[in-house]
Amino acid sequence: MKILIIEDEKELVGAIKNFLETEGFLCETAFSYFEAEDSLSAYNYDIIILDLTLPGGDGLDLIKLIKDRNRQAGLLIVSAKNSLDDKVRGLDMGADDYITKPFHLAELNSRIKSLARRRHFDGANELIFNEIKINTDSNEVFVNGTILDLTKKEFEILLYFVVNRNKVITRESIAEHVWGDDISYSDNYDFIYSHIKNIRKKIENNNGKNYLHNMYGIGYKFSER
Amino acid sequence: MRLLQKTNRAYFIVSGTAFIIAGVVFYFVISFFFRDQLNEKLYHDIKNITRSIKENGTIPDYYPFIEIREVPTQSEQSFKTIDTLIFDGFENKKIPFRQISLITVINNKVYFLAARDTLIEEDDLLEAIAIVTGLIFVLLLVSLYFINRKLSLKIWQPFYKTLNELKDFSHDKPGFKLSSESQLYEFTELNKTLEKLTRKVISDYQSLKRFTEDASHEIQTPLAVIQSKLETLMQYPGLKKDQAELINSAYIYTLRISKLTQTLLLLTKIANDQFPDKKAINMAELIGEKIKMFEDHILEKSLTLNVDIKPDCILETNFFLAESLLINLIGNAVKHNIKRGVINIRLDKNKLEISNSGEMISVPVSKLFDRFYKTDKSSDSPGLGLAIVKEICRLNKWEIKYNYENNLHKVTVNF
Repeated sequence: MKILIIEDEKELVGAIKNFLETEGFLCETAFSYFEAEDSLSAYNYDIIILDLTLPGGDGLDLIKLIKDRNRQAGLLIVSAKNSLDDKVRGLDMGADDYITKPFHLAELNSRIKSLARRRHFDGANELIFNEIKINTDSNEVFVNGTILDLTKKEFEILLYFVVNRNKVITRESIAEHVWGDDISYSDNYDFIYSHIKNIRKKIENNNGKNYLHNMYGIGYKFSER
Repeated sequence: MRLLQKTNRAYFIVSGTAFIIAGVVFYFVISFFFRDQLNEKLYHDIKNITRSIKENGTIPDYYPFIEIREVPTQSEQSFKTIDTLIFDGFENKKIPFRQISLITVINNKVYFLAARDTLIEEDDLLEAIAIVTGLIFVLLLVSLYFINRKLSLKIWQPFYKTLNELKDFSHDKPGFKLSSESQLYEFTELNKTLEKLTRKVISDYQSLKRFTEDASHEIQTPLAVIQSKLETLMQYPGLKKDQAELINSAYIYTLRISKLTQTLLLLTKIANDQFPDKKAINMAELIGEKIKMFEDHILEKSLTLNVDIKPDCILETNFFLAESLLINLIGNAVKHNIKRGVINIRLDKNKLEISNSGEMISVPVSKLFDRFYKTDKSSDSPGLGLAIVKEICRLNKWEIKYNYENNLHKVTVNF
């Protein structure tokens, strides 16, 4: 799957590219409005990440171009926090999703994968990790074929983990993903721990393995180890 | 007090005092001349009487104006002037008289001679003086009042116009101009100075605003880079525990600065009124949503939540700001609470009350809504939540109050 990252901050692009490539995406980059114009007119992309604050032009104008040339591409716009107008206008003009800067790489990954699923590029609405199967349409989780009785938040956390499998996920990133940006300023993340404990228990009760590993106080990693 | 009132009051006091003093002096002067003249007249009367007795033996007695009595022998007495009260048959009361008396020997007889005249005229005089001065006083005051009023309406009109325009002045509205023109030097100078001042205020404010915005934006990008690099670093396999802890610590603080600059930017945007879109917002629904957001935090602290929400609070305001207000207030009530504490949320048509249990705070209430003011210096939070709440209230002209009673911190917002 081919992704075009349109963002002027080279260091940030590097980190994004690095992260997404380990997830199996093919990444190309454009650092300015003009570079983006060139790439968009020459190639087709499956997903485009567009930072609206670009040197050389208004990112919103690029949306028009994308809609003309790359109609089938999933478009994720990146805007500064608090610039609600950009966000709303971007979505009105046909962007599929937005993320505000600064963001967690795991969050970006989760947005891109969700975009990919919604566009059915994979032709699948199912995520499978060994004995765990997640249906993202019906929001159901099966372990060894048995449906798991998860709360909405537990489901969101598990999905976030499975999407970002083999990656260290910070508690802050989980809190922001599930509880929202505004609320994650809490100095105490114990409430996350109790949800994770429940998920583990529910998977193990259905003879699933424990894939949720604690990472030295940073957060968690969902992996086979 | 208005200027007109003040000057009128001063005029009244000064002219009143002057008129009283002038009246008193006037009275004494008049009274002095009156008595002097009366004395002279009575003195002449006595002389005439004496001569008349000498020549004619006697003259009729016009009591009480002229009294002539023969008295037993005694030494002569020269002129004596007194005020006395004598019963008057017509008036049927005692009335004051001026009297000059003399005991003298005429034709070998000892006489007591007295010439008198009433002092009633003097009372009348006093009355007349009081009335006249009073009348002049009233006349003067009335004319002063009207002159002042006319002056204040006409001369001061540009001043009041300027004042009204200044009331509408806002530091974030560029292009402020005073329209009033006056022939008077003082007012043109005032307007010139004010225009200079307001231009300075506006430009200072604009540059401060731009600075805050630019600084926040500029800080945001490097922070995003640092954050992404640290997240990449975390992914390295074989990371040791102490390495992971170092990364984590740097990561947490990066996020904290990031939050801080975002919040500062938000504060600036609220202060600049950059949230113009308004719509009718059902506060009861919004509060319900926000409480749901915090349910894990509430559960975690085993807090008891008492909710009394009437459904009829509809506010015409910006959605994002209403949300921000509630998140900050409910968030504070959760965060600054104690284990197994309590939160009470009450909403009716015009009022939101959020109270929570918690430690007594030692800061003055007036500082509580200030930026970066923290009750606990070691706290992780930068102390901007209540500053945001205050700004949102100011923008919407809502009144916000804090008080501590019955061991509860209570914040009240009157819409």
